[in-house]
Amino acid sequence: MKIAAVEPWVEAPLRRFVDDARARLALLLHPTGQVLAQAGFTREVDVMTACALASAVHATAGELGRQVDGRAFGGLHFGGQEKQMYLAPLETSRGSYICFTVFGEDTSLGLIRIYFEELVRELAAASLEAPPAPTAALAGGFEAELNRNLAALFRPRDRWEGRGGQPPGGR
Amino acid sequence: MSASLRPVLETLTRQRGVRASLIVSEKDGLVIDSSLRFGQDGERVAALAASVYRKARLSAKAAQLGAVTFLQLDAERGRICVAGAGTDLVIVTVADPAANVGLIRMELFKALELIA
Repeated sequence: MKIAAVEPWVEAPLRRFVDDARARLALLLHPTGQVLAQAGFTREVDVMTACALASAVHATAGELGRQVDGRAFGGLHFGGQEKQMYLAPLETSRGSYICFTVFGEDTSLGLIRIYFEELVRELAAASLEAPPAPTAALAGGFEAELNRNLAALFRPRDRWEGRGGQPPGGR
Repeated sequence: MSASLRPVLETLTRQRGVRASLIVSEKDGLVIDSSLRFGQDGERVAALAASVYRKARLSAKAAQLGAVTFLQLDAERGRICVAGAGTDLVIVTVADPAANVGLIRMELFKALELIA
């Protein structure tokens, strides 16, 4: 599965998570909706949409949790007929993130949760050794940041590959 | 439901060498109820045992061997036994390598009848 990360320190833990848990899609994003890494997506518009929706669902569930339980809920699971999703927050020394995972019938919620716990541990450890973040997660130029991250995940070559075309000047 | 399942699990965990007994959803790999000795990670065992059992069941079906009723996994430091009765629920036990599997198997089938 193709994995792309804006910051290299998240790539190896995310790859292990996706491989071990047999997830079909995974996104690592800031609670603001800014993407940090993705696995399995082929179009940037899908990443953008998924990030916006995941961020909104996380915010809604968090607020519901605070009202019902006095604190934000830890994780959220939705089950469809063939696919399911698991959305959960995680903390690192570089800040809070959300992991959005889509999985099918070849794995289970139990396995996803177990490997998610390992992802949390691995990211927490990797974040300690990672170089300082280039910019704050929620900088003033949010849209510019979003576009920069999407551009890093989906370089022009990927789009041509996806459409069966050739990049300018050939390869 | 949980109150009626607990005695079934406690009977299993009282068997010599048994460290944990769990009733698990095969589809989700989540614990329905459990009786664990100190130090056992129920959620991890449940998810992995349910996954192995599910794969065994699908493999047996693909090989036209019929339904899987009992699965035993022997490892260096313990063994996992799983029994299912064709529903989503399976019963999982984690035992020492020296535990009496015949007895565990018999108790698992008794327990299956009780929870069916």
